[in-house]
Amino acid sequence: MSGLTRVSGSFLREQVRAPLNVVLLIAIPVFFVLIFASVLGEFAAALGGDLAEQAATSISAGWAAAFLCGTLAFFALASSRGADRRLALAGLGAWRVVLSRITASLLLGVIVSLVAYLTLLLRSGVEHPLHAAAAIFAFAAIYTGIGALIGALVRDPLSGSLLVVLIFSLDIFSGPAMTSNASLANFTPTRPASNLLIAAGGGQGSPSGDWIGAFGIAAAGIAIALAAFWLTARKRA
Amino acid sequence: MSRRTMTATTMAFRDQMRRPLVLGLLILLPAYVIFRSIAITEATPRAVTLPGGAVIASSMKDVHGAVMAGNVIAFVAGLVGVFIMQSALQADRRLVVAGFRPIEAIGARLVIVATATALVVAVSAMVTALSFAVASWVPFVGGLVLIGLIYAAIGALAGAILDKLAATYLILFLALTDLGIVQNPMFGTPHGGAALLPGYGPGRVMVEGAFSQSFHATGDLILGLGWIAGLGILVIAVLRRALGERSG
Repeated sequence: MSGLTRVSGSFLREQVRAPLNVVLLIAIPVFFVLIFASVLGEFAAALGGDLAEQAATSISAGWAAAFLCGTLAFFALASSRGADRRLALAGLGAWRVVLSRITASLLLGVIVSLVAYLTLLLRSGVEHPLHAAAAIFAFAAIYTGIGALIGALVRDPLSGSLLVVLIFSLDIFSGPAMTSNASLANFTPTRPASNLLIAAGGGQGSPSGDWIGAFGIAAAGIAIALAAFWLTARKRA
Repeated sequence: MSRRTMTATTMAFRDQMRRPLVLGLLILLPAYVIFRSIAITEATPRAVTLPGGAVIASSMKDVHGAVMAGNVIAFVAGLVGVFIMQSALQADRRLVVAGFRPIEAIGARLVIVATATALVVAVSAMVTALSFAVASWVPFVGGLVLIGLIYAAIGALAGAILDKLAATYLILFLALTDLGIVQNPMFGTPHGGAALLPGYGPGRVMVEGAFSQSFHATGDLILGLGWIAGLGILVIAVLRRALGERSG
């Protein structure tokens, strides 16, 4: 267990060794919530959504966690595939490498989610703080899975980062914050988490279906990330 | 263009053609985002102040149609700049060791960045035309080209100085703040410190072209050209130094 902790710590340090990475990991969620949220109520209304400003502010925290974790997971996987295979072959074993990678990715997701959550609490307050925290982490877990999957399938950093942006755009433009038309939105990955976050921001509870949906998709995201990291670290014939 | 620059450019294009997914995404991403965002915007009334000072009555749908291309181009061209310049720093050192002058290797990469930017601008302009009647195409497309080149140059600088993750976050941060919010007439007329950001000049030229058949944005155009010249010189200087140092 201590070996796993040590390797996970090394993987975490690998991602935050550049000081600017740390600054941006903190600054962007703060920026999203403080600045983007100030115009999001008006923007969502223009786009046919019916969000109150406070609910719109809440969703910006989820988006920040989603985009940052998606790109983090993509680059973590894309930049480490060779090294991870060598680590696994050198005796660490594929599963220990995979568990260390996923632990480091989720820890980064927790850090980003926490920054977004605290900014949200300080800026406008949330009537259901635990609901909001759970929903923001669900965004982070879902996009960790999406980013890792793209990293496993696409080697080129420009293609991969554009693909993360495309999926993020498909998701938010079809989500409940941006359109009241639910026909396509029902199929987007963060819809239940968005419903939870909007309800928490607006001071309302959420139906059990949204909780089950959000945590089911978040668990699927983590499982996909595990599979993606395993695909790149496993021994090849 | 020298023979060696031509060879390096041809090889750089061939290198890009090995990655058809990039080409598809450079078309699909702006097309989807622009088409979708205009399609779901309500036609609620919105007054827009043009560069000459005239105020026109428009709608949120039309304003979104006018500005969304600029937002997407800034972000995509910025990412293109980041990653093409990062691969240039890795691969072009070998060209310089093999006898190319740094400026010849850099020239090839700049042609690739400019071509990718032109593709994104062309797709964005065509998709915009499907949903929004642009008043004057020359300044509108001119504004988009300036936005694309400015952000591609910023991306190239970020790619030369920062690692991939930090450079990607920086482009997201800057493009969203600048063209997505500060210069965006959906949230009011840009004023005060807005003029200090790189998207101000070309953004105003784009808005002028979108809504006016006459042109009153000469100062904004000169400002945008100044940004291009300054950033272009910086990009060439940074890359020449990087390639020269590495090959020494």
